[in-house]
Order: sequence, then C-alpha cells, then structure tokens
Amino acid sequence: MNNNQSAPRILKESKNKIRVDFERTSRKERLKAKYLNKNFYKKVLVVIFRLLLLIGISYIILFPFFSKISASFMSPIDFIQSDVKLIPKYPTLDTYRYLITENHYFKAMLNTFILSFSCAVIQTFICAFIGYGFAKFKFKGRGIMFALVMLTMIVPHQILQSSFVQKFIYFDFFGLFKATGLYSALGFTQGIYNTYVPLILLSLTGLAFKNGLFILIMRQFYRGVPDELEESSYVDGYGVFKTFFHIILPLSVPMLITVFILSFSWQWTDIFYINSFMPSSDHLFLTSNDFWAVMPDTLELLKDQAGANYQTYEIAVQNTAGLLVILPLIIMYCFCQRFLIQGIEHSGFGGT
Amino acid sequence: MTNEIKLQNATVSAPKKKHRGASLNAKKARMGWIFILPFVIGFVFIYASVIYESFIYSFAQYNTIPAIRGGGYSLTWVGFDNFVTQLVGTTVDEEGRTFLEMMFTSFGQQVLDVVIIIMFSLFIAVLLNQKMVGRTAFRAIFFVPVVVSAGIIAKIDNTASAIMDSMASMDGIDLGEVSGGGLNALVSAMDFQMMFQNLGVGSGFITMITNLVSNIYDIVSRSGVQMLIFLAGLQSISPSIYESCQMEGATGWETFWKITFPMISPMILANSVYTVIDSFTAESNEVMQAILDISPNGVPNGQQSAAAWTYFTIVIVSLGLIALICKKFVFYQRRND
Repeated sequence: MNNNQSAPRILKESKNKIRVDFERTSRKERLKAKYLNKNFYKKVLVVIFRLLLLIGISYIILFPFFSKISASFMSPIDFIQSDVKLIPKYPTLDTYRYLITENHYFKAMLNTFILSFSCAVIQTFICAFIGYGFAKFKFKGRGIMFALVMLTMIVPHQILQSSFVQKFIYFDFFGLFKATGLYSALGFTQGIYNTYVPLILLSLTGLAFKNGLFILIMRQFYRGVPDELEESSYVDGYGVFKTFFHIILPLSVPMLITVFILSFSWQWTDIFYINSFMPSSDHLFLTSNDFWAVMPDTLELLKDQAGANYQTYEIAVQNTAGLLVILPLIIMYCFCQRFLIQGIEHSGFGGT
Repeated sequence: MTNEIKLQNATVSAPKKKHRGASLNAKKARMGWIFILPFVIGFVFIYASVIYESFIYSFAQYNTIPAIRGGGYSLTWVGFDNFVTQLVGTTVDEEGRTFLEMMFTSFGQQVLDVVIIIMFSLFIAVLLNQKMVGRTAFRAIFFVPVVVSAGIIAKIDNTASAIMDSMASMDGIDLGEVSGGGLNALVSAMDFQMMFQNLGVGSGFITMITNLVSNIYDIVSRSGVQMLIFLAGLQSISPSIYESCQMEGATGWETFWKITFPMISPMILANSVYTVIDSFTAESNEVMQAILDISPNGVPNGQQSAAAWTYFTIVIVSLGLIALICKKFVFYQRRND
C-alpha cells in the first residue's frame, strides 16, 4: 500500500491539539450500514417485544395496588360521590396521618424491624450451614434427615398451631430450665411465651416459616459448587469450618442475599406467628391485629361521612394499613437488589 | 473422590501402619452431622412432639375439658373412624363432592399450574437478567408478589375487590373488569374461544388456554419467589462461560440450552419442589381451605388431622415423583457423586 494515501491530512495544528481529516465513507453511508440491516431490525424487535411484555406483566402486578393507593387518599365524602373513580375529588392525608399517629406506626415498625432483622440473619446463616452439611458430606441417615426437612416444609404450621402454642407456653427441657433458675436468671418469669424467644428458637433450629425452602435452596446451590474449591482449601491447610467461612460463604453471597430478602420480608409480613406467639398488646408489630385491623378513633368518627358506604371506607383504611406495612419492604428491596447483581465478581469460580 | 486419593497415598507411604482414630470418611460423616446439628436439635426437641401430636389426633376424638374441672384435654382412641367419616362420609362443597373426590380433581389442575409457573418464572428471570433500560424498576415490581404472597397482604387482598365492586356498582362504568382475580377474566374468554374454534383443536385444550389467560394474575403473583431464586442462580453463572460461547459462535438459543439450562438445573429442581409444596399447601388452595375450615379457630380436631395427613401423603408422593424426574437432567458441577 502507498503510505501517502492512508496518512491523515492535517487540517489544523496547535500546541496540544490536532485536527485531522481521514479518508472515510460519508456519514450517510455509515449510518446506512449500521442501521439498515437485518440484524438491527431483529434487535429492535426483540427489545420492543421484551419491553412490551415486561410492561404488561408489571401492569398486571401493579393494577390491584392502584385502586388501593387511590382509595388511601380519599376522604370519606369521596365514597358517596358517584363520579369519583380512581382520582379522589377531595384528596386527604388523614388516613395516613391517623394510622401513623394513633396506631403507633413507627413503634410497630421498629419492633417489626428488630424481630425481622434478627430472625432473617439467624435463618440465613443457619440454613446455609445446614444446607452445606446436606450438600457436601456423605453420612448415614442423610436421606432420612433431608426427608424430615421436607416434612417440616410440607406440613403447614397453621395445622399445628395449637400444639406449637402449647409447646411454648410450657416450654422446658425436662424441667431443667425452671429447676436451675435459668428462666428467672434470664428474666423470663412468665415463661418464654409472649416474648421474641419462640420465634428466635424456631429460627435457630431451622424450623421457622418456610425454612425448609431455604435449606433446599442452599443445598442445591452448594451441590453446584465444584469440589475442587474445598479440596484445594484442605490441601492448603484449612479445616472444614475455616473453609466454610472463608471460601464457601463469600462465594454464596447472591444466594445468601436472596434467602435473607425472602426471610426478612416473610417475617415482616407474617401474621400467623406474631399473633399466635405474641398476642399480648405489649408487643406491637405491624402485623399485630392491634395495628392493622383496628380503626383509629378519629377515623371511626369520620366514617359516618361516608354514609351508606362506610364499610367500603373501613376496607380502604385497612388497605392503607397494608400499604404502610409493605412500603418499607419495597424501599429496602430497591436498595438491596444492587447487591444482588454483583456477587459473582467476588466468587471463586473464575473460568471453570 | 478426595478421600480415595488421600487414602491411597497413605497406604503407599505407610502400608503397615495401623489406623489411629477415625478414618477420613468417618470424620467427614461426623462433620456432616455437626453441620446439620441445629436442625436435628430443633426437630427432636420442638418439632417431633408437635407433629406426633397432630398425627395422634387423626386417630382420636379430641375433647376439651372445661377450666372448672382442671382444663386441658382428653383423647379417645377411635382408630380409622376419622378418616372414613372425613374422606368419604361427608360432602365438602355445594356440588356434593366428598373430600377424596375433591382432592383428586384439584390434583390435575395443580400439576398443570406447577409446570406453567416454573416455565414462566424461568422465562422472566432470563429476561430480567439481560441488560436493558429500567431493569432495576422491573425487578422491584416483580418483587412485589413475593411480599404480597405471604402474610398480611394476602388477608387484605381478599377484600380488595370489595372496593372495586362498590365502585363499579355505583354507576355504569365498569372498572372491575381489569382487576386481577380468578373470576374477572383479563381478556374475555369468549374472544379466545372464537379464535381457537377455527383452528380445529379440541375443546379441552381451548378451555385450558382460556383458564390460563384468565388466571394470569394468579400465575404471576405465585411465581415471584421462583423468579428470585432463578435470578440468583443465573447470577452465579460465570460470565466467562458466556464469553467463550460467544467467541465460538453459538447463538442465543444454543447458549440457553447448552449453558444456562444445565447450570440452572439444580435450581429448577429446588423450584419445582418448592412450587409443588407451595401450591399444594397454600391457604388459597381449595383442598387446604376445606381442611382449615374444619376447625377455623385452631382447636385440634381429629377429622382435620385425618384429612390433612391424607392430603400430605399425596403431596409427599408427588414430590418423590418430581425428584425422580429431575434426577434425569439435573447437572451438578462436580465429577461424580
């Protein structure tokens, strides 16, 4: 090739800037080559189709919420106006204001947060621990024990409610806890019923709500982890526990976060355990019947303005309470899912 | 595998030496028990007695003793009477079906639901794993059903349509049509039937499709957890595998079936097991509803336990079948097991 032809022509030259003119195809030709071909059409079609599908499904998920959200801003008068559909005519924040102040929203939220967070952390680690045991070690009775884990998941706790409650009212270890004064030393003079302890105990032993699922997820995940990782770690002198905490746990971060999110949000919205194990009003949670099923007094007075539709208004207030319950969760998820996306970069499987 | 190699080396280097302490296999077995110890303790001290009680109730008549006479309860052994009366003796719905009949008719529908949910959630998870505009927003929206599926919102949701109903009844404009729910079909079923009639397919197939389209909200809201699990599974596939695939010139379709599907298959098994359990034992399920209705305020009841245990047997059997089927295609990233 001739060197002179391909060399760029210098248009303008200054101290640290240079402008050159290349011999290149015109802009029109270039755009044509880029956009007017089969591949590009295909790509655009796929993007449009995907977007439409996702928007459609999002709409299906969100639609039931639209009516609830709009109803939460309605004043009682809106419920007897026949021309009010989705957009309230007399928008008001009263429903939110009185639910937050009179039903002690923030107190309940703090309690719920403490309980859910501690339970979720415990459940995540315990289930990872148990799942690892099932995935990577061969021992007699593994099949039977795993079948028992499945059994705890199959039998819904609603069926066992009364037995569980009985168990925790009279919870003791062959009378040892009472005899040795362990209960009074820890401050449980009334037994552990009506405290956080039953739920913590269930979490510690992998028996809480849907923990069987978490054990199953973690087991499946760890079975997919290549054995070479542990082998090389053993060869390098790590013990089993050190391997688990330093090698295995860090690489299962995406799964751990998923399990954490699931257990946290299920504990947060749980209505069954809270109301069966902690029915007294000393512990106010977002899902206690005291919070979400009770009309604030002021709204009780306002209710008459809705006339014949007062029942609808009551339901709208309950729905608003429900929205207030899940709002912190959604916000938390939006922050957490950032961590869900990373994770693989820190894991151990480079190019296996 | 490790063990064998190490043992061989041991025998080569010191063939005559006697084993001190436990062998490596026994050690590993012991470690396994230590890892699952939390569950074992919980099962023995908390769960075993609870589940044993429920099992015993199914063979007995439960009587509460009034508080005046000391409180508590008494059990009278009745053998299989509870099972007989509950399963075939009494009718559970308006159509006059017995419990046993209802259990088996709903079984087919449930199996279909499980298959659809797994396919749907895998599809959406793959979509949400791609890079695109608004991915964060979509992920947040698809997470909503996970929260809604359990606990309080499920309870409130039952009354959700009350608002729509009262609004719709106020005057002519029909708003309730689009609210997601079993009865309010998203698309009118008639349109679909008209569309399919000309194709010459069986009417059973048409009703199946129409049911699916009408229940799309149900399916979407029940596949939230599965989506999350698949998403986490997809994220733990090394990007370098995809990279090398691209270099070798594989198409998207090939990449999915040769890479994504095998790598995600352990999660497919986990999700199938979970979906079966979740959809079979959800409170919204008609069989479960019937079981819970026998004793609504949580007082133990022999007939309830009998019905529940019969139903759980079916669930357990179908789980075993799924495990067998999945064994065929689940791929673990290890040499052998």
